[in-house]
Amino acid sequence: MTLLRIQNLHKIYKNGTHALKGVSFEVEEGEFLVIIGLSGSGKSTLLRCVNRLIEPTTGTIEFLGKDITHIKGEELRSVKKQIGMVFQQFNLIKRRSVLSNVIVGRLGSMKTLDSIFERFPDSIYDEAKKCLETVGIEEKADVRADSLSGGQQQRVAIARSLMQNPKLLLADEPVASLDPATSNSVMQYFEKINKELGTTVVCNLHFLSLVRRYATRVIALKAGEIVYQGNPLEIDEDWFKTIYGDEAEEVEIR
Amino acid sequence: MIKEPGLDARPKKIIADNKKREQKFNFCKAVLLDIFLVFYSLIVIQRAIYYKFILDIRDIPFAWSQIWIVLFISIIIGSLWAFTKTSLSCNLFGVAKDCKTTKLTTEIFGWVLFDITFIAGWIVTKISIVDLFSKDGIEGAQRIFGALFQPEMSIFDDVVFATIETIYLALIATLISIPFTLIISFFTARNLMKDNKISFAIYYILRIVLNFVRSIEPVIWAIIFSVWVGIGPYAGMIALLVHSIASNAKLYSEAIEGIEDGPVEAITATGANKIQVVWYGVVPQIILPFLSFTIYRWDINVRMATVIGLVGGGGIGTMLMQYQGLAKWHEVGLIVLVIAFVVWVMDYISAKIREAIY
Ligand SMILES: Nc1ncnc2c1ncn2[C@@H]1O[C@H](COP(=O)(O)OP(=O)(O)OP(=O)(O)O)[C@@H](O)[C@H]1O
Ligand SMILES: [Mg+2]
Repeated sequence: MTLLRIQNLHKIYKNGTHALKGVSFEVEEGEFLVIIGLSGSGKSTLLRCVNRLIEPTTGTIEFLGKDITHIKGEELRSVKKQIGMVFQQFNLIKRRSVLSNVIVGRLGSMKTLDSIFERFPDSIYDEAKKCLETVGIEEKADVRADSLSGGQQQRVAIARSLMQNPKLLLADEPVASLDPATSNSVMQYFEKINKELGTTVVCNLHFLSLVRRYATRVIALKAGEIVYQGNPLEIDEDWFKTIYGDEAEEVEIR
Repeated sequence: MIKEPGLDARPKKIIADNKKREQKFNFCKAVLLDIFLVFYSLIVIQRAIYYKFILDIRDIPFAWSQIWIVLFISIIIGSLWAFTKTSLSCNLFGVAKDCKTTKLTTEIFGWVLFDITFIAGWIVTKISIVDLFSKDGIEGAQRIFGALFQPEMSIFDDVVFATIETIYLALIATLISIPFTLIISFFTARNLMKDNKISFAIYYILRIVLNFVRSIEPVIWAIIFSVWVGIGPYAGMIALLVHSIASNAKLYSEAIEGIEDGPVEAITATGANKIQVVWYGVVPQIILPFLSFTIYRWDINVRMATVIGLVGGGGIGTMLMQYQGLAKWHEVGLIVLVIAFVVWVMDYISAKIREAIY
């Protein structure tokens, strides 16, 4: 089933930057789609349009067969609840415990007053702990988020989005601030979520070796346009040069 | 992929339109600023430099008709100049032609503005070295300073009591200001209010009101409130309260504007509502700066309470005023010493507390 359908999407920022120039593609349920491209090619812009953190200028976005390009308010929040997002900078609440950071993923389904006074049902704590188990750091539940290492913080961020029971998980360069070994272990959690929970993943990545290993399909962006779409194993030297420019050379990370 | 040409033309047009609109808007601003600058220079040259300095007239004649004539001339010169696109303001707003004339006029006019402002300032404040070093002046200063350094200790108890009154007055004003400031600061933080037109309007109006309130000094508020609720500490407290709210709301909201966007964005992305986003994404980031600003405000309020006392706001300032009116310089000396001591201690304590917080 088609989970996400993007048609002729354009994004023009207020300062005039034309970041997306007519992007169209579809995402099927269960896919692990990776978006690659140079810095500034519009990868983050694309992901942020999908869950409407920013407003696309023209074009349409369909999620589960419903046009969500212009929805607002309550309706938009209910779509956001179904789409998890993981960021390069983890974006946790630094001064709060790991567990409360994970619970944040459920705020959308809570009454405002209950969430402010932290009147959570016991079941939420159990679920949060289960999410932490999924990413393997349940023993850190009570420490402050900013005392964790980068890789651990990213796993907390993944647990936070798992709390949403998302249909779709967006990840904007989730391993770009991590070292190669940690990158791989964090990517394995994405793979696990994709395979075991069946969550569709759309992920921005920089390293082709990671792309080949985890992606079921690849989209390459260049200056806001799709220049390649297909199987990650078929990206050969020529494609690599069209995507990254003639000067580029591939580096391996394992 | 097949592209429909019609669909592709639209984004390009949006870009071009945006650019044109911005240029037009900037040009309008440039014209207005040019007119104002010319008007300013003409008025300053005519009134301060010509009438007051060159003709040395005491009562400068004032006539609206004259002002209108000057304004009319400025409008003509200013707009003509702006329309050549070589003016100072065109340069400032980035719509000027890139040529030698622009550079030259900008430089020359910039200097003219600076010079006439400085000269006019000098004339208006009647700077006179002679007064500062005249024989009478120096003798007076010697008398007062001599007395100040021989403080009269018999009124020490009264002075201490008045000082405590001042400190408490400042403390109460600071404490009461906290809840008001908190609420207002969220509504005057641009990053929280810019998303929607209604909230942006609220933001804008509140900002203007706050700027207005802040631009009026606490002393003047004290005068206003002493007419309203009667002379004394209560009027002083309300004056400080009003000023504290306006000043701290600005600091608080700047702290809110300076927070990391990341957590806010992440929490928004989970589908949380606005209040939840603020509570979980914004509040944890601003608690410490808020605390620190509030302690600093208490420190400032103690100094201000002293000044407010001078106009009848109660406490040590009022006492100072009374003894100064009677020319009892020895008593004044004691009061000044106590004020200096208290301000120094407060400054030290508040700095230490703020250090400990971070
Ligand atoms: N808020 C913004 N306002 C204006 N321009 C922006 C904004 N965000 C991004 N851009 C511009 O849009 C273009 C695409 O940016 P985007 O962040 O989507 O690229 P990216 O592919 O994610 O790059 P990176 O790998 O560096 O994260 C860039 O030219 C960027 O400068
Ligand atoms: Mg990016």
